[in-house]
Amino acid sequence: MNEDEAFEYVKGTLRSERITPYHPYEIEVVRSIEKCINCGLCINHCPVVAAVGIDRFSGPRSIAVELSRSPPEYWSTADIVYLCTGCGTCREVCPKNVDIPEVVNLIRARIFKHRPDLVPKGFYVVQEPLTEYNLAFQPWEDKEEKSESRDMRLEKLGLPYVQDRVLDKAEILFYPGCQAEERAQEVREAAKVILDYFDVDYTLLDEMSCCGLPARLMGDDQTARSLADRLKKKVKKMGIKKVVTTCAGCTSNLSDLSYYFDWGVPTVHILEFLAEDIGLQRFGEDMANSSRLSPVHVTVHDPCHLIRHTSRQIMDYALEILREIPNVRVTESEAYDSCCGGGGLVSYHSRDVADAVVKENIEAIQKTGAERLVTPCPLCTAQIENNLFKSGSSVEVDDLTVFIAQRLPKKG
Amino acid sequence: MSDSEFDVVVIGGGSTGTAVARDCAMRGLRTLLLERDDIASATVGTCAGMISSGLKYRNEPDIMELCSEEVVHFNHIARHIMMKIPILAPLLDLSDAASDSGYIDAYSEHAEEREVPAMMFLTPEATLEIEPMVHPDVIASVYYEEFFIDPFRLSLLQALDAINHGAKVHTYCEVIGFEKTGGEIQGVVFYNRITGTTETVRTKLVVNATGPWAHKLARMNDSKLDLRLNKGTHVILDRRVVNVGITARALDGRWVYLFPHENTTLLGTTALDTWEDPDRLVASFDEIEYLLQSIEAVIPSIRESRIIRTMAGIRPLVPDWKVSEDKVTRGYQIVDHENGMISFTGGKLVMCRHMAQDVTDLVCKKLGVKAICKTHEKPLPGNEDDVDVESLSVEYGISLHTLERMRARRGTDIVKILELTKEHPEWKTTICTCEPVIEAEIRYAIREEFPQTLNDLRRRLRLGTGPCQGTSCTYKAAAILSEELDLEGDDFLVDILDFKAERWKGIRPSMRGEQLAQEELAQGIYTCVGNLDQSDVDYDLKPWEEGA
Ligand SMILES: Cc1cc2nc3c(=O)[nH]c(=O)nc-3n(C[C@H](O)[C@H](O)[C@H](O)COP(=O)(O)OP(=O)(O)OC[C@H]3O[C@@H](n4cnc5c(N)ncnc54)[C@H](O)[C@@H]3O)c2cc1C
Ligand code: SF4
Ligand code: SF4
Repeated sequence: MNEDEAFEYVKGTLRSERITPYHPYEIEVVRSIEKCINCGLCINHCPVVAAVGIDRFSGPRSIAVELSRSPPEYWSTADIVYLCTGCGTCREVCPKNVDIPEVVNLIRARIFKHRPDLVPKGFYVVQEPLTEYNLAFQPWEDKEEKSESRDMRLEKLGLPYVQDRVLDKAEILFYPGCQAEERAQEVREAAKVILDYFDVDYTLLDEMSCCGLPARLMGDDQTARSLADRLKKKVKKMGIKKVVTTCAGCTSNLSDLSYYFDWGVPTVHILEFLAEDIGLQRFGEDMANSSRLSPVHVTVHDPCHLIRHTSRQIMDYALEILREIPNVRVTESEAYDSCCGGGGLVSYHSRDVADAVVKENIEAIQKTGAERLVTPCPLCTAQIENNLFKSGSSVEVDDLTVFIAQRLPKKG
Repeated sequence: MSDSEFDVVVIGGGSTGTAVARDCAMRGLRTLLLERDDIASATVGTCAGMISSGLKYRNEPDIMELCSEEVVHFNHIARHIMMKIPILAPLLDLSDAASDSGYIDAYSEHAEEREVPAMMFLTPEATLEIEPMVHPDVIASVYYEEFFIDPFRLSLLQALDAINHGAKVHTYCEVIGFEKTGGEIQGVVFYNRITGTTETVRTKLVVNATGPWAHKLARMNDSKLDLRLNKGTHVILDRRVVNVGITARALDGRWVYLFPHENTTLLGTTALDTWEDPDRLVASFDEIEYLLQSIEAVIPSIRESRIIRTMAGIRPLVPDWKVSEDKVTRGYQIVDHENGMISFTGGKLVMCRHMAQDVTDLVCKKLGVKAICKTHEKPLPGNEDDVDVESLSVEYGISLHTLERMRARRGTDIVKILELTKEHPEWKTTICTCEPVIEAEIRYAIREEFPQTLNDLRRRLRLGTGPCQGTSCTYKAAAILSEELDLEGDDFLVDILDFKAERWKGIRPSMRGEQLAQEELAQGIYTCVGNLDQSDVDYDLKPWEEGA
């Protein structure tokens, strides 16, 4: 056997022994998991354990000390690891900073490779468009209809339409993410309104493609990596300085990608952009001139992907921004930073679990007496909105980007 | 069968003794096994569990052939407790490659029988893809595959199978003398540590399978047996940190390895001629450093991985002197003292079945019994069939991983445990969170596998062997054991102290890094909360404990 044939043979054995070698960047995750001292602190903080009990979801501690120890056995964790929403609460409270959400991805990736039959069937709804269209959702068949839907949303929300801008070179890439590109189009439009209002030199992608987070969450590393590569190439070619997003998941995932794969370009959420690049002072001064400021009582939901996967600073900005908008009263919900259950693709296969998780939020939101909930993530928006509606609540939900755009003065 | 008359008494409940008892019982001999402590409580429990191709013994072709045959047999009789591990030997300079071609040919000779490929060379790129922790300057690597077994379960299953075939197995019974007439053994005298009584049984023959104690037992019988005792130490790392096994030349040119083992990684081993008492043995600083430095040459980041503990054992080698340890034959000798006792020297885990076959042939010949060996044909308990853990998980409502770990210990016998949960659904509770082990398995093991202590449960279930080293399971398991065995409060506490002391023995020598945080937590629970350090129970500190 020559060396190439030998390698092929070895790959065969690794496959039959269910071993997918750790990549160099995964070793960091493994090191982090090794730090677990089985103190059990995390269990009481995990929203999934709280919602469905330890018998259904054995929780972060078990992921660290039990389920993640032997790759050839990862397949046998399939009844548990798909129930983690990846909210990162465990990691935040852990005295050893054990990176549970990442090890969950690492395990899911191995199940995807070695036991695709154990991957929740619900994921294939996402996987198909991802591999076919580089998007997490089936794109609109009829572009006309898509525009009509967009216009209807804009009209309902009282937002102006700003033309799409696709430039060869620009300072900023505005990256709406799949949800805002295909479903919650108002978020994408609202961001454009804001960027346009502040005369930002920005561009959209010539053709939107997914950042790969959903692929990573379902364990399809290959697709995740090819999507990430695709995006990296585009970003590099455009020579932009910064990526601005409106989605919590995209913010954290693009930041991770940038760190692990040397993009050299930071990604920020539009809230950070407003606070740091536009400046709260300028924002506040302009807001003071707005005529579209009927009094409103809101409560806020913190997306996990921002506060725990990126930085709590972003939601501090969110509150500061809300403070700069006159006539907005904010009441904190008791569950303001509790996972909405929408993460980790859990709802794609175990809707009951996702909905059990969000229950805590729903109750706490009702208690605030606020008329609207705002949150800077289209996915959280959808998950909470659905469940508030189902519970018969009259609280309305706004994506925070939309909420801001609605209140900006007319560009003059 | 009479409880006091036997054809053969086997002394020692390690891999060798249990294999002998099984073979004797299967051939219809009235068999008694006496073990001073617990099954697999000594050398066999400190070994790597490699059912090796005999690669290291290339100068002994017959041993390599024997090893290969045994691999085939174990894959037949005990496949449920076996694992295959792919292994890389990364080469960092050409002289490594040149000097080792002998190994490659020797390994490959019997590869086909074992259903593994001949040794192969891999490019540096392939090597680093398979194991990114390998030194980036690697110039090539050699690839091969070996099999591993759970040495605790193997010994226990052999003992259980011996019982199934009519043998008696007594643990905690230490042989202290022999009754002899005309220089011939007529009876065996032992001290029963559970009842505190001295008992005698009559027997026609004695097989001395006491590993590194064999010379002492021979002396008790006024016979001389020479052994070359050789200490070996492993460092145990939390979880599987390498994708595949790694072997490398140590600082002194011997071979050392990093093997994924169950859900840990073993770094081993040292080989030091020793005259230490096997009961007081602990890993030394020098050994740990030797192992780390040796493997560091090929896995530079190894010290960043979490070391949970060490384990040290003594190889009872054949007494070849005036040569270095690795030149000593890895074969075994059967020594007939011609006075009713037959002893072993040498041997390996991989050979235990073969050693048993040879010695039982001799026993049968001496007793005039005609019976042939079937130990390589009949499966060990649990290996009768495949187990579908996925449907069992649905049927019994227990998580897949819990069942998969249980399956790896028990094969088809898993169902007996699951049946218990029908009447006692509360026994699905996880007791050891690291392995994991549920209450039903603990209760089953206590009832069916004759443990006396928490340490015995550990050997049967891997209880407390994970990263937390019994931090979270000890009290819970002790409560169950006390209830099942009706232990007094003091016994309960002493057992906890014994168990923690046994863990400490391995943890102490290598304690550093993340394990320090773990020990701090354990200390908090067991002394600050449990007040165990202030307990007034009658407990003698172990030789390796502070203040002893
Ligand atoms: C570090 C290390 C690594 C190894 N790795 C491997 C490997 O990977 N593969 C392999 O094939 N081999 C390996 N070996 C060798 C192998 O472990 C041993 O050769 C084998 O397990 C010895 O088993 P045993 O039953 O003979 O001895 P033991 O396991 O020591 O059993 C002897 C038993 O006799 C009992 N006993 C002693 N005195 C009395 C008495 N008076 N009355 C009653 N009972 C008594 C003891 O309590 C003990 O349980 C390794 C050895 C070491 C030390
Ligand atoms: S990431 Fe969230 S859902 Fe997952 S284990 Fe941690 S706390 Fe629980
Ligand atoms: S993951 Fe962290 S918080 Fe949870 S048991 Fe381990 S060390 Fe404790």
